[in-house]
Amino acid sequence: MDLDGESIPAIEGEPVACSLVAADEPVLARSIKYHRPRSPYCFAAACSHCLMRVDGMPNVYTCRTPARDGMRLERQNAYPSAKVDVFETIDWFFPKGLDHHEMFAGVPVAEQVMAKVARQLAGLGLLPKEEGPVTPPARTLRTRVAVVGGGAAGLGAARVLADRGVPFLLFERDDHLGGRLAHGVPEQDGPQIQEAATFPKGSILTRATVLGLYDDEAGRYLAVGALEPEGPRLLKVYSERFLLAPGGHPPMVPFENNDLPGVYAGRAASLLLRRYDVAPEMAALVGWGPELHALAKLMQERGVRVTAVVDLKGPLPKDAHPLAVSGSEPKAHGLRRVSAFSYTQAGGGKKKVSCDAVLVSVPVSPSFELARQGGAKVTFDAGLGLFVVEADADGRTQATDVFAAGDLTGGGTAREAEAAGRRAAEALVGGLS
Amino acid sequence: MSKAMVCSCEDVTVDDVKHAVSRGFCDVESVKRYTGFGTGICQGKSCLAAVASLLEREKALKPAAVVPFTPRPPLYPTELRLLASAPVDMSVPPVGGVPQEVDAFPSSLRPEGPVPEKAKVVIIGGGIMGLALAYNLACEGETDVVVLERGYLCAGASGRNGGGVRMQWGTPALVELAKRSIDLMKSFARDLGINVWLRQGGYIFLAKTKPVADRLDRNAALHNKFGVPTRIISADEAREIVPGLTMKDCLTASYNPEDGVIFPWPFLWGYAQGCKKKGVRVETYTDVTGFETSNGQVRKVKTTRGDIACDTVVLAAGAWSPEIARLVDVQLPNEPHRHEILSTEPLKPFLGPLVSVLDTGLYFSQSMRGEIVGGMGDPLEPVGLNMGSTLRFVTRFAQALMEQLPQVGHVKVLRQWAGCYDVTPDNNPVLGRTPGLDNLLQMSGFVGHGFMMAPAVAERMAKWMATGESDELFTRFSLRRFSEGTLEREDMIIG
Repeated sequence: MDLDGESIPAIEGEPVACSLVAADEPVLARSIKYHRPRSPYCFAAACSHCLMRVDGMPNVYTCRTPARDGMRLERQNAYPSAKVDVFETIDWFFPKGLDHHEMFAGVPVAEQVMAKVARQLAGLGLLPKEEGPVTPPARTLRTRVAVVGGGAAGLGAARVLADRGVPFLLFERDDHLGGRLAHGVPEQDGPQIQEAATFPKGSILTRATVLGLYDDEAGRYLAVGALEPEGPRLLKVYSERFLLAPGGHPPMVPFENNDLPGVYAGRAASLLLRRYDVAPEMAALVGWGPELHALAKLMQERGVRVTAVVDLKGPLPKDAHPLAVSGSEPKAHGLRRVSAFSYTQAGGGKKKVSCDAVLVSVPVSPSFELARQGGAKVTFDAGLGLFVVEADADGRTQATDVFAAGDLTGGGTAREAEAAGRRAAEALVGGLS
Repeated sequence: MSKAMVCSCEDVTVDDVKHAVSRGFCDVESVKRYTGFGTGICQGKSCLAAVASLLEREKALKPAAVVPFTPRPPLYPTELRLLASAPVDMSVPPVGGVPQEVDAFPSSLRPEGPVPEKAKVVIIGGGIMGLALAYNLACEGETDVVVLERGYLCAGASGRNGGGVRMQWGTPALVELAKRSIDLMKSFARDLGINVWLRQGGYIFLAKTKPVADRLDRNAALHNKFGVPTRIISADEAREIVPGLTMKDCLTASYNPEDGVIFPWPFLWGYAQGCKKKGVRVETYTDVTGFETSNGQVRKVKTTRGDIACDTVVLAAGAWSPEIARLVDVQLPNEPHRHEILSTEPLKPFLGPLVSVLDTGLYFSQSMRGEIVGGMGDPLEPVGLNMGSTLRFVTRFAQALMEQLPQVGHVKVLRQWAGCYDVTPDNNPVLGRTPGLDNLLQMSGFVGHGFMMAPAVAERMAKWMATGESDELFTRFSLRRFSEGTLEREDMIIG
């Protein structure tokens, strides 16, 4: 691939962002306001760290774009280059942040100059030069149950529906099924990934991203962006029931320098390692919850030198990594990329360790958007620090045709998610006429 | 430089969130708007939980009041060309819309403690009209004023519009008001200490049919009479101003380089802060539930936080005005109509003016942040308070936009939302006294352009209220005109 004129090796089909990390080119862009270096974080299209101009298209999620021979990659929002960006000075001039609401407000001349400068500095990426080819007309589909998400919960539900002979369509945005079963941390006694071939033909759609749960004169439907061999196509999928199991987004955890290149979401780290065999040499892990400790184990087993495991909530599980400690005030260090990690120990005192990556593993933030659009109630779970969809044990929500399972209702293991998916499917089948 | 990011799309830090809380923005929707968190490419996927936890930990909110901001479609950035491919049945009116949010404010967000027991003036509606009026009243010396808002600041149309401000109107009254408003917008930062990012990139109106073309011709002459430099331009001139514009099926265009776009939200914050500094009370998350009247006067306004005895009541609740007027048995001719709008990924500057096809109601501009912001009316939109979003709108908008600006086909939509126009039979506002209820003043019916009129209208109304000097604005646009039949129709309404 061509990265701003330099040739970059890549394996065809792996995510572009993965190729760049593997090629030791972590800085993909500069951030919108302070021009801080940006490098991939979540590998789930849930942040904006990996956006690049790809083959002339602005703001492309390189974490979800398969690498191809000859691909043209350009770093955005940097002058003259993302490695040496003069606007980085904004970050240094405003250590306490820049209040764009009040800066130069009402100051003659300065105000106008600022408005002109801000207009030029704002925005990410350039308008594409070419007109987009016309997409094929949208296709309207009808089914009895629409399942969103092909992870443990969605597949559990699909199995029940298939066994009962209930027509359904399952939408998975990845090119493979399994969700965390495929790229999360392996769990003991986790369920097996059920292959698409074991379901009725045509009922499982991969590379199909659900964009919204809408309604119109013909009823409630999902709008789905499906990547078909000839290009993207919009699907309108009317359904009697919606079984939502889209999982969650890897959240940002606010700590000093949490956006430094080399800071990755835990699920990104396990995905890179398990699917593409890409891993840091030395990693510090921080976060909370069972995935943190399982990730430490996985990294260690696969030859990564783990230099710290800091649990911000505790208590530590029995089988925690030998280095695991309770701590607070995590901080990433490094000029343009991570070179060290520090934290405050439970008993007091700071500790600093070397590393080339900081892996942030916390429970995922439920992707409640579709459920809320469908009329389900979303509440804040202060213990988890997350918004969850309110549902009973069988996944019933406030909206009679919307069922929720898996991470959406507040986490748990993959096994629990699969069972929840099955229960929700059983419950909704009972209500179908 | 060491920073702790909560929203890395928009570079919002932990300190920024704490700063917002210190300014009184505590609920998630307000913090979103004030800091900008969750408005970037990820639309809150990676940051919302972190901000909510921070607000809860900082005790800015009670746990039950921690509710997510409204998740708006699409779930992932989606190209306009893909959205343009959906079928649209224009033989039926639009149905539905998601998510429904008209009655969505939980009571847990309501401030503790009662509202003041009495006030000289109670203003119903904390949109730009009500807040601008309260601020101007305070400037006139009347600070015993309470503003009641059912949601957060920016929850209604004032927080949902596209930020267009223009002098290109069809009647002298509105041309003059708009001119004055834009002058006040220019000095807003100096007067109220907050940037509103006015960018005078002009407005281009396109006409596809002869009657609309004639209207543009006629109105340009009117504008010139008032010193507004509108001119009729050729297709080539339009393409010079907006490279790539096809002008497909367009007969003519009018252009005023002094029109522009602003960032709507800071107006509300600026006026609200200005009010508070002068002692005016702005009460958010407080609903009006009824009125107490006697002898042709409103005596008390009843709210979910107690009653307020008052001398004067101003109804400035936008599309909600008819609903509230009914509580006191006043029939307003206004009707709420949903208008949908969307915003795309932010791009480097490429579009100077706001462009509108007056025949179809399409409009689009580029915001200060670089997003394409645009909407389009639906001729079949039924009457009703509906703020849900439809795929039908995005599809119609995408098709109409790509017809005029084909390069945007690859541009991705980040979010869509809706607000309500407050529509009157003659497209002109309802201002002044209410027949039969002398101390109930109307300030509504602005048909989607209240935002840009507010600074000037509020200035005149405050002066009229404070001094008692007569002002023809409040007879010209009085409620009486609908029964007397002296209507002068405004014909430059987009949508």
